[in-house]
Amino acid sequence: MLAAASFIPYPHWLNSGDNTWQLVSATLVGLMSLPGIAVLYGGLVQRKWVVNTMLMAFAGFSLVLLVWVLWAYNMGFSSEQFSVFGAKGTGFFNNLIGRPWPILTHFGEQNQATSLAQTDVPFHFPNATLAYFQVVFAAITPLLFLGSILGRMKFRAWLVFVPLWITFVYAVNAKLLWGGGFFAMKGAVDYSGGYVIHLAAGVTGFTLAAIVGKRLTRDRLHAVPNNLMLVAVGAGILWLGWNGFNGGDPFYAGVDAASAVLNTNIATAAGLTTWMLMDMFFTKERKPTFLGAINGMICGLVGITPSAGWVDGYGAILVGLICSTVVWIAWNFLSKVRPFSQVDDALGVIYTHGFAGLTGGLLVGFLADPGMVQYIGVGKTPSFVVDGLFYGGGWHQEWEQFLAAVWIIVFTAIATTILAYITKWICRGLREKDDVLEIGDVAIHDEEVYPQETFAERVSAMSAADRGVE
Amino acid sequence: MKLVVAVLKPFKLDDVKEVLKNVGVQGMTLTEAQGFGRQRGHTEVYRGAEYEVDFVPKIRIEVVVDDAQVDEVVDAIVGSAATGKIGDGKVWVVPVETVVRVRTGERGTDAL
Repeated sequence: MLAAASFIPYPHWLNSGDNTWQLVSATLVGLMSLPGIAVLYGGLVQRKWVVNTMLMAFAGFSLVLLVWVLWAYNMGFSSEQFSVFGAKGTGFFNNLIGRPWPILTHFGEQNQATSLAQTDVPFHFPNATLAYFQVVFAAITPLLFLGSILGRMKFRAWLVFVPLWITFVYAVNAKLLWGGGFFAMKGAVDYSGGYVIHLAAGVTGFTLAAIVGKRLTRDRLHAVPNNLMLVAVGAGILWLGWNGFNGGDPFYAGVDAASAVLNTNIATAAGLTTWMLMDMFFTKERKPTFLGAINGMICGLVGITPSAGWVDGYGAILVGLICSTVVWIAWNFLSKVRPFSQVDDALGVIYTHGFAGLTGGLLVGFLADPGMVQYIGVGKTPSFVVDGLFYGGGWHQEWEQFLAAVWIIVFTAIATTILAYITKWICRGLREKDDVLEIGDVAIHDEEVYPQETFAERVSAMSAADRGVE
Repeated sequence: MKLVVAVLKPFKLDDVKEVLKNVGVQGMTLTEAQGFGRQRGHTEVYRGAEYEVDFVPKIRIEVVVDDAQVDEVVDAIVGSAATGKIGDGKVWVVPVETVVRVRTGERGTDAL
C-alpha cells in the first residue's frame, strides 16, 4: 500500500502559478475565436451568410488544432531545426523552419516545455501548456482573414486552404520571429503577434480576396450587418480575451504579464476613443457610430500587440491613438485608391489588422521603454528589455522591425498566392457558383440562422418515440 | 361590410387602438410594415459605408366593420393618428363580400 506522501502533484520544474496563468491565458485567447470572432463576424454579415461565416470559423479552428499537434507546432517552436537546402549555422535557410513532427506522445505533452526562443529562462510548465497556448494564436489567424473572403469562397476550398496556410505561412513566420528563427536572432521582436498574426492576416485576407474575386454586386450593395448586439458580444470577448493574448506572452505570471495586460487595455481605450472622435468631427455625417468605435477598439488591441510588455503606459496611449488614426485615415481615404479600391476585402481586415499590426510593429522601435523589464537579469546578465529610438535606443531596433515587416508582407502575399492557386486546382475553383451565392446559407448548408418552426415541417422518418403514442 | 385598412406611424398604435375600442370595434389585425409615401427615408452608415433606407417603419391595421359604422371608424382612426406632419399615413376602405367566423360558421355581420 502506498502512502499519500509518496506522491507529489507535479515535477519540481513546474510552477503552479505560471502554469495556471498560461492555461487561463490560452483559454481566453481561444474564447476570442469561439465564440468571439464567430459572433463578431456572424453579426457583421448579412443574414443570409451567418451560418456559413460561423461554420467557417468553427471548422477553421478545428483544422488548425489538428494540423498543429500533428506537425505544425514543431515547425514553429521545436528545438530541432529543419535545414532547408542543406543550410547550416545562423543562415536564413537553417533558421526558417523547425522539423515537422507530432507532439502527441506522453513526453510530447508532459515534458517540460522547451523552445529555441526561450533558452535563457526555463519554462515552468509542460509542453502541452505551451503547445495549447501557441495553437490558439495559430487558430485565430485564419479566422481573422476569414473576414476578407466572406460571402463567396467555396466551403471546401476553405477547408483545404487553412491547413496549407498554417503549414507553409504561419509556421514559417512564427518560427522566424518567435521560434528562435532568423529574424528573432537578428533582434526583431513581436510581443504577441502584431506581425505573425495581424499583419499576416491582413495581407493574406487581402491577397486571397483579390484571387477569389468580389462578392455578388447585389450582396455588396446590401452589405448591412444583421445583428449589432452580437457584434457587441464578440467585440467585448475580443477585448477582454486580449488580456490572455498579450498577458500570456511573457510565459510567466509575473510583473511584465501585469504590465502587458494593463497596457493592452489602455491602448484599446485610446484606440476606441480616437476612432469615435474622428467619426464625430471629421466625417460628413459627424456622428459617433458603434461599428466605428469597434474598429477603433480593434486598432488599439492589434496595435499594442507587438509591444504590450515593452512600452510603458504613456507609450500604450500613444500606440492606441496612432494606430487608430492611421487606420481611420487608411479606411476612409486609402480605400478609394488602387489596389485597395479594386479588392473586395469584405470586413476590411487589411485595415484593422494589416495596417494596425504594421503600425504597431514599427512603433516598437520608437516607443519601447528599456525601463520595462520582461526578464530580470541576474549577476552580469542584463535584463531583457527593448530599446526604442525615443529612449535613446538608436535606429537599430526600428531597422529590424522594418525588415521583419517587409518579410511578412512579401513572403505572406507570395505564399498565399501560390497556396490559393493550389487550392483552386484541388477544389476545382475557389468560389461558390453565382446561383448558390444568391441564396447563401440555405444553399450551402441546408441551414439558416433564424429558422421558423411555423414554416418547417419534418418530412424525414421519425422514430416511434418522436411521434408519440398514436 | 367594409374592410378599413390604415397604414400609420407606429407610435400612434396605442391611441388608435383605444379610440377603435371606444367606438365599438370588436377586433383588428395588426401587421408591422415598411413603406414610403411623400415622407423621405433616411441614411444609415455601417462601417463607413452609406446606405439609403427608403422605407420607413409603419403599422398596418385592418378592421372589418358594418357599413353603418364605416365613417365613424375612419374618422376615429384619422383623428387619433394625425400629427399634421408628413408621413402620417393613409386609410382606405374596400367592400367585403362576406365574413365567416371560423369557430361557429356564422356568416355576414353576425361574424363581426
